[in-house]
Formats: sequence, structure tokens, C-alpha cells
Amino acid sequence: MKVLVPVKRVIDYNVKVRVKADGSGVDLANVKMSMNPFDEIAVEQAIRLKEAGQADEVVAVSIGVKQNQETLRTALAMGADRAILVVATEDVHADIEPLAVAKILKAVIDEEQPGIVLAGKQAIDNDMNATGQMLAALTGWSQATFVSELDIQGDSALVTREVDGGLQTIKVSMPTIVTVDLRLNEPRYASLPNIMKAKKKPMDEKTPADLGVDIAPRLTIVSTGEPEARAAGIKVGSVDELVEKLKEVGAV
Amino acid sequence: MELLDQIRASIGDKYVVTRQDAQAWTRDWTDVYHWQPLAVTRPANTEEVQAIARACFAQNIAMVPVGGNTGLTGATKAQDAIMISLDRMNAIREIKPNAQVAIVESGAVLDSIHQAVDDHDLVFPLIFGARGSAMIGGNLSTNAGGSNVLRYGNTRDLCLGLEVVLADGQVMNLMSELRKDNTGLNLKHMFIGAEGTLGIITAAVLRLYRKPLAYVTAMVGLRQLEDALPLLNRLQNETGGGVEAFEFMPRRYIERHIEIISGADEPFEGAHEVNILVEVASTRASDLQPDESGTPKLQAILETALMDMISNDKAQDAVIAQNEAQRRSMWARREAAAEITVGFPGAVDTDVAVPLEAVPSFLKQMTARVQKIDPEGYEFYLSHLGDGNLHYTFYPSDRSGRFKEPITEAIEDVVLELQGSFSAEHGIGLSKRNSMARRKDPVALEMMRAIKTALDPKNLMNPGKVYPEPEAR
Repeated sequence: MKVLVPVKRVIDYNVKVRVKADGSGVDLANVKMSMNPFDEIAVEQAIRLKEAGQADEVVAVSIGVKQNQETLRTALAMGADRAILVVATEDVHADIEPLAVAKILKAVIDEEQPGIVLAGKQAIDNDMNATGQMLAALTGWSQATFVSELDIQGDSALVTREVDGGLQTIKVSMPTIVTVDLRLNEPRYASLPNIMKAKKKPMDEKTPADLGVDIAPRLTIVSTGEPEARAAGIKVGSVDELVEKLKEVGAV
Repeated sequence: MELLDQIRASIGDKYVVTRQDAQAWTRDWTDVYHWQPLAVTRPANTEEVQAIARACFAQNIAMVPVGGNTGLTGATKAQDAIMISLDRMNAIREIKPNAQVAIVESGAVLDSIHQAVDDHDLVFPLIFGARGSAMIGGNLSTNAGGSNVLRYGNTRDLCLGLEVVLADGQVMNLMSELRKDNTGLNLKHMFIGAEGTLGIITAAVLRLYRKPLAYVTAMVGLRQLEDALPLLNRLQNETGGGVEAFEFMPRRYIERHIEIISGADEPFEGAHEVNILVEVASTRASDLQPDESGTPKLQAILETALMDMISNDKAQDAVIAQNEAQRRSMWARREAAAEITVGFPGAVDTDVAVPLEAVPSFLKQMTARVQKIDPEGYEFYLSHLGDGNLHYTFYPSDRSGRFKEPITEAIEDVVLELQGSFSAEHGIGLSKRNSMARRKDPVALEMMRAIKTALDPKNLMNPGKVYPEPEAR
């Protein structure tokens, strides 16, 4: 079975995000970019499937700017076998919308014929949480979202989903689109010998036009703003004063 | 008591803390020393510090300044003394981005300085595990070191100016921002590392650096410690002196860390005797640019150099952090040192420095010596290897304390033989006073006492610390 893992290059989640002065988006110039953490979990899971003998090839695909190469090399260093880079823009600030991404992935699936797609549940930059679901609709495959456990059993898979208030276990038919959640696994470090090997692994470069997909945006970003700064706290001198203040604001 | 009333009148009742409320100030982080202060005073500004000093000076009462209380030598022990906590004087008064200086009050928590300067894309490169509690006044008073001394120097090197309140309440204004100022003796350096024995640091001018745009952080496994310096030098050469930290953890450290810290994991597939955490950084945007394989330039330099060393059997393995989360988890391993070493009664805990090339020799000699003294004992160490600073701890086979002196003497002997220091970055406080008496050059000690007497003739500033009693010699 072949596993397809889409990976997105996003602003590193430990980097302090700054909004561009004109409010048109987040400033990404000279900012540390990394693989979307949920996608990293998806790559790890794909490699584990291969190590367990349940998959025989892991293909990572990334859509965006040329620099996404770095993100794909990380996936290859972790253990993916080959990579597909779809260069869809030259501008790091241009975000390819979920529907366009899903259509590109659909075209890649048509070519690659994977048995499963393992994707992050969402990208931490725009938090859309939509691509996996759209891809399931376009392919007509089953979908399992927010997955924290995955057990492939021949032509179906038993998956545990993290839902509000608990866990839900469902059975989906293969092939399937799985979007993974935080607790599925702990991704491995990339060892230097594997990083060097990754540089020699094949990486195909395509464009959306090659795949026959129109990526013209359908959404308009009206504005981007910093979260409201938290109001300053106050220091109380005694427990009595604390209780009094809490009563004042109706907290007790 | 009359003194306390006088202080209350100067700084306000609620900022003079006594009895139960002063609990937090009756011990330090190591829990080795315990004491009962007369009171803990919490002044809001320099004038209030002066008022406290004047009152204590008039009545001959000892004063012990305290910051985050994270010291490791018992330097804040304050039995029957007035403690002067700088915690309320925590303002970051000004950051001058172009001049790259920050003007801060001494109670500013180190981490809050880090955060404040980060907004200007600057760093204050004094980094160590206790940064979330330690205050800059204490960092200055102990001339704290940490993990970035290799590149940026210790606290002394990061300080341009100071404001100090003397024992009699006078303020000495040394708040210079100047890089060049040869107007007589540079008095600020006397207070840096004086551990509060000469005066109370109330404000400082700090030197800032441009925040690196790119960091590359790796763990490297080596077969033997002798391979470490060639690795450091090679990385320095190839990155134009870009190595920010070069930390050594032996196999035993890795094992103990995994045992104690939940969720901790092996850094490599195999086990290695010598584990190096190395971080290189650059402020050049070009170092972020990807090469043809997509790897940012700085990372490619490190990868190529390390891979070459692995191919030539000069290194065994390496892992490179692929994102900030992995970088932080590599650092978390190193910074858990304090948590995984304290808490063993009777342990001999040291903070020594030896010349860079002498670290392997120090460890070999120590192993030989401790085996003669207490063969069942247990050695544990780690090192800021890039600056020759070792934290060598010996856990004796029993808790009687009978091994403490012979082991301490053995360590000091080896350190002296290698022309090292018995206190590299933690200072003297109470715990290293015997070592001072035994090992410090006697003329140097005499001069230190002369300076102490000149600045603090009544011996009220943090008495009983740093300088050994003359008769103890």
C-alpha cells in the first residue's frame, strides 16, 4: 500500500507571530518556517505504517512556494521515500486555499493511487480544518478526522477520533482520508545520516497547471489584526481583599 | 522593634514582612541553609533602599540583599539580618534599540528582560535554567554564567553601568552607557560578583545583541571527550565564530534524565559516551537562504561539517532540530540539570573551571582519586564545555558526611594542579568559603578584605559570606 502525506510549510509554532503593518496578513519575512506540527504527526504515522509492514511506500506532497522543498526534505529525512513539490506561487505570503489544495491533491491521488491519505487535521497558520474533508468529497473516499489512534485491518480501518467530550471509535472503508490529531504519536528527530540521505531521494516538481487545477482565490481576507492585549491585572494585599475583588466581579 | 518601625515609616507597613509571611525567605532554592531574618523589606525604589540602609547602618544591623533567591552557594542566608528584597524594583526602564542597551532595575526577572528586548529583535544573551525566577541584580552580584558565555561572555561582560546603594545609604551612580570610559578605576566591576558584600545593586545598564535570524541546534554523539574540542573548533571556523553554546552531557546524564523526567527519550538511536548539545546562530539573512536541496545555508554548513566528521569517525552520530519545538526539547534536557542533581544529602556539588584542553584530564584524575577515597561512590557531571566549566558532583556511598572533606580537597587539588578555578560561575557564598581560605592566593584574599573594609567598615553588608575569616587560614 502506498501512503500519501500532504505537508504544509507554516510559520513555526514557537515563533511570535507579527501582523504586517498594513494588516494584510502575518509577516513571514525572515521568520522561522517549519512543517505544520499536525502534518509532522501524519508523516510519523506513515513511517510507522511502513515500519510495521502495512505500507510499502510513503510519498510526501507539499503545495506552495519553492522553499517548501525544505519541508519535504524534513519529511524525507524522517523516512518518507519520495516527494512531490507543487509550486503554486512565488510569494510566501500567498496562502493556497483549501479547495485548491484539495483539488491538487485529488489530481495527485489520481496519478499516485495511494491506499490512504494521512494529513494533519488542520494547518496552524490559518486553522481552516477543511482540506481533508474537501478531499474526501472530491475523491468519494471515506474520511476519519481528528484521529488519535489508527488500526488498519485489510480493507477497512478502525480509528479513534477525538471529539468534544471524549473519544469516538469508527470503522471506515479503505481507501480513506485520515486527518490526524495531536495525540496520535510523538514524531521522531531527524538523524544527520538520514538528513543527508534525504537530499538524494527523488523530488518531483509540478505546477497546478500540470495537474489541471485552477488555484485562483475565492476568498478575500478583509483584515488581519493582533489579538486584543490582555488587560493589566491588579495585586491584592490580603486574602480578604482577594475575596472582596472576586465578589466585585462576580467570580464567587 | 524600633528599627522595623523606622523602616515601615519609610517604605510602608505592608512592605516590611516578618514571621510567617517571611517564610519564603527563610531558605534558598537548594534547601541546604535555613535562617530566620529580622524582617524582609521590599523597597519600591532606590530612595527606599537608601532609607533602609541608613536605618540599618545607624543601628549596626546586617543587611542581605536578595533577588530571585536561586543561588547555589547559600549567599542569601540572613540570620538576624534585614533582608532587602529587590522584587518590587522590577521595571525595565528603557530599551534603546539602536544603541543596543537596556536600562533595568535590579529586581527585573531575567526572563522578563528576555521578553522585553525580544520585541525589538534584540537579545540579552544571559541564559540559564533559573531565568524564570532569577533577577538581574542577583545575576550581576554572582556574575552569573550559563550556556552562552562561549559567545557573549558572562554577566560582567554584558554590563555597562550600575547604580549601587552603599552600606551607609549613599548612592553610587555608575549608570554609564559608554563603551569607552577610562576615568580612573572601573568601580562597577567590584560590585559584579561581590555577592552583595559591598553594596546593593539597584539598577543596571545592560548590553544587548541583535537577535539571530537563524539557529541550528544539534545533538552530537562522540566516542570520547578528546574529540569535542576539534568539533567545536571546526564548527567555529565554518560558521565564522557562530557557536552560541557547546554543552557536554555524558551517557550517565542522559540515562538519569530519562529516568527522572517523564516523557524524556533517547537523543540517538544508539548510546554514546559523550553527548554534545551545540547551537550555532547567525544574524545574516543570507544564512537563512536555501541551497539547491532546500536546506538553509547555516544548517547546510553544520550538516556538511558534522557528516564529514561522522564519515571520518571523529563523531558517531548527530540529530538536528527540525523546528523550534525540537530545539526547545534539546535544551530542556540540558536545563533539567539542576532538577536532576540536587536533593542528595551529603553530595559534593562543585562548579569548577579548567583550561579548555584540561577537561578530559580533570575527569580522568578525579575518577582515579575518588576511587581511592570512596570506591562505592558515584560521579555525576556535565559541562559548559565551550568555556571549560564543569559541574562535577560526587554522591558518596553513605550519608555520614565523612567523605565530604576528602572529596572536596581532592577536587580542589586537581583543579589547582590544572590551574583552574574552584568556583566558575556560582560564586562563593557560604559553601565555598573554606575553599577560598585554602586555595585563593593569600595576597589576593588580603586585598579583597581591604576593599571590603574600605566600602563596608562596619561589616554590615551580607556579612560572613565570600571572604573567609582571617584566622581560618
